[in-house]
Amino acid sequence: MASCWWRWRRGCSWRPAARSPGPGSPGRAGLSGLRAAAAAAARAQMSYFNLVKSLTSAFPNMYSISRFHHMTPAVCCCSKTRSGEEYTDPFNLGWRDLKGLYEDIRKELFISTTELKEMCEYYFDGKGKAFRPIIVVLMARACNIHHNNSRNVQASQRAIALIAEMIHTASLVHDDVIDDASSRRGKHTVNKIWGEKKAVLAGDLILSAASIALARIGNTTVVSILTQVIEDLVRGEFLQLGSKENENERFAHYLEKTFKKTASLIANSCKAVSVLGCPDPVVHEIAYQYGKNVGLAFQLIDDVLDFTSCSDRMGKPTSADLKLGLATGPVLFACQQFPEMNAMIMRRFSSPGDVDRARQYVLQSDGVQQTTYLAQRYCREAVREISKLRPSPEREALIQLSEIVLARDK
Amino acid sequence: MSLRQLLLRLPCYLGASGPRRGPLDTIASVVSWRGQSSRSPAHWNQVVSEAEKIVGYPTSFMSLRCLLSDELSNIAMQVRKLVGTQHPLLTTARGLVHDSQNNLQLRGLVVLLISKAAGPSSVNASCQSYDMVSGIYSCQRSLAEITELIHTALLVHRGIVNLDELQSSDGPLKDMQFGNKIAILSGDFLLANACNGLALLQNTKVVELLASALMDLVQGVYHENSNSAKENHITDDIGILTWKEQTFLSHGALLAKSCQAAMELAKHDAEVQDMAFQYGKHMAMSHKINSDLQPFIKEKTSDSLTFNLNSAPVVLHQEFLGRDLWIKQIREAQRKGRLDYAKVWVSLNGVQRLRDTQKPASLPLSCDRRSLIIHSPFPTEPQNPPQHSSPGSHYYCVRASKQVEVHLPCLFN
Repeated sequence: MASCWWRWRRGCSWRPAARSPGPGSPGRAGLSGLRAAAAAAARAQMSYFNLVKSLTSAFPNMYSISRFHHMTPAVCCCSKTRSGEEYTDPFNLGWRDLKGLYEDIRKELFISTTELKEMCEYYFDGKGKAFRPIIVVLMARACNIHHNNSRNVQASQRAIALIAEMIHTASLVHDDVIDDASSRRGKHTVNKIWGEKKAVLAGDLILSAASIALARIGNTTVVSILTQVIEDLVRGEFLQLGSKENENERFAHYLEKTFKKTASLIANSCKAVSVLGCPDPVVHEIAYQYGKNVGLAFQLIDDVLDFTSCSDRMGKPTSADLKLGLATGPVLFACQQFPEMNAMIMRRFSSPGDVDRARQYVLQSDGVQQTTYLAQRYCREAVREISKLRPSPEREALIQLSEIVLARDK
Repeated sequence: MSLRQLLLRLPCYLGASGPRRGPLDTIASVVSWRGQSSRSPAHWNQVVSEAEKIVGYPTSFMSLRCLLSDELSNIAMQVRKLVGTQHPLLTTARGLVHDSQNNLQLRGLVVLLISKAAGPSSVNASCQSYDMVSGIYSCQRSLAEITELIHTALLVHRGIVNLDELQSSDGPLKDMQFGNKIAILSGDFLLANACNGLALLQNTKVVELLASALMDLVQGVYHENSNSAKENHITDDIGILTWKEQTFLSHGALLAKSCQAAMELAKHDAEVQDMAFQYGKHMAMSHKINSDLQPFIKEKTSDSLTFNLNSAPVVLHQEFLGRDLWIKQIREAQRKGRLDYAKVWVSLNGVQRLRDTQKPASLPLSCDRRSLIIHSPFPTEPQNPPQHSSPGSHYYCVRASKQVEVHLPCLFN
């Protein structure tokens, strides 16, 4: 009875009365945590809703945002049920230009050895979300329309979509070795199947194939833009190795890492297609800022999902960041409420029980809600940027995409 | 020593060098194109310092910018934590530091030498000549550095260990995990620097060339890894043609394509680019063949494991003997106890000694003749006849085959 009461109380009150995790209740942490998160998200929803209302009064044509947020809670919804109209679904719209995406990527991997080819193609199985390629082609069309009302995606712009997905995959393969991860997208990782030695080579090979494809576009500006991504990815990984003592520095450090590891790829590939489609530097900056903000929001939500989602949905184990010793957004926010987490952050959750305890702290704090709110702010900024382009179905799709980023549950 | 002479002679020194402990040894020995010319290390050092004088200043191994960066000091700090573990990254790192005085950047040096040998393009003489120091464009210097970065990155990446194959003698799993992590990161860091340098060259053809060299290199390393993983098994049934293909990927492609890219940067035409490609390719190949040869021509080999059953002489031998006979002989040797490669080789060659002494040596000969031929079109410094009776690379081959003849009997007796 007592435990029932405990669960009820924690599930209902969005900010728990108890300041520390209940002793002896770790088994229920998952369930009550989810409820707390849902409640937190609901509140985040409300505050964001107010913001959106003020935003929509400034931009009357952005009705879709507020409507969307009326219909769907921020965390616990499935994006597929959301949109009935085919032409406004960003994924349907983007996919028109991406038919044969994975076949084309596999064609770029001209490798004679069967096993090596198999490893490199492993993640290009068509089961990924292709989130990056979708953004890239939508941005390409939005920029082309803005520039000269052209309704086509250039071959070089489509190539950027492929390259973005390849660079992303190459970094995944290496990250999984670095983190010693064993599952991703619901299947075993390359390193678990073929071993670390070969996995690293597979990552290098995908990167080299991406570089070849990039060079073949024949535009030195575009080469420089996407090279920046590769550098950022590595620097981001280095930032992840270190941690900062000071709380403010810690947050800046986290955001910088998030930009480099996730947002830079999206931002710079958006910029690359804008450069190919339109000579105006103002447009390049819009594309870059949109990509950067959506990318940051994307990763923040990813970090939230690491606490709120279950591993079946994500296709990878949850609480993974804590297990790796990483303090992401929700943890850093929670730490403001529970200063006792500081010590855990500094020792990178290495003592026995740290991961569970930190998880409970996070779920009891408003860390999840605050992180979600931050993600919403980035999305709002992304929408503000992209709205500077001329209206087009693709521009609307990009706006919707930023909402999907917030609403995704896997 | 004139530039032309140096270029002609370089394959000789490179070819005659080779790791002291044999081709299959630790990364450290792969790192080093140590200059153990048959005469003396002092002589080798002299040649290199001549070369460095000719190109103006030594190639800066990973530019200062790179050395001063946060990431590299971070790596250095992390690598220090690995001290005392068995992770191969340590050996690699030690090789990098230890050999830095011993001409680590030879690939870069070759790129610089060939850049200088080719000089500015006659077609496009007007462009960027202000940018030249000691007859080499600054972009060619960057290219030399990029070549080194790519080579080193792969060297670091090839030292990753498979965690589920660890023995208890390898020490704690945690150390190895950490070592892998740092090895991947530092390799990626070097690659990112290479990409960055490539982008700055503002020439997409060069980017494509070097990216494809990286692709070749990765595939080559993959073959090498899968060959060495099966060290205790029977060799693959590969003929010398396959061996050449694989060795081109793992050893030739980077130097070949870098040399070609250096010509592209100076706006030389396709013909000159192809010559430079061939020069780089054949030089790297003959170096590899020579290091494969070392275990068989050295009087004493301390470590029998250094025999690679997929090295050039063995592949040739197998091709000559026929697959069935070869397998039979190996099985026989295995039945007698632990497979001692030195002994296998002795017993196999007891029969075939004479022919085999000729065969490995004839291969570099054909390679080097080609790299020799391609020199002539370069408009270079006064064409003094080489000091040796035969041109440098040719000389090497003659000498190498003599070495084989001299040393093989000692080995087998």
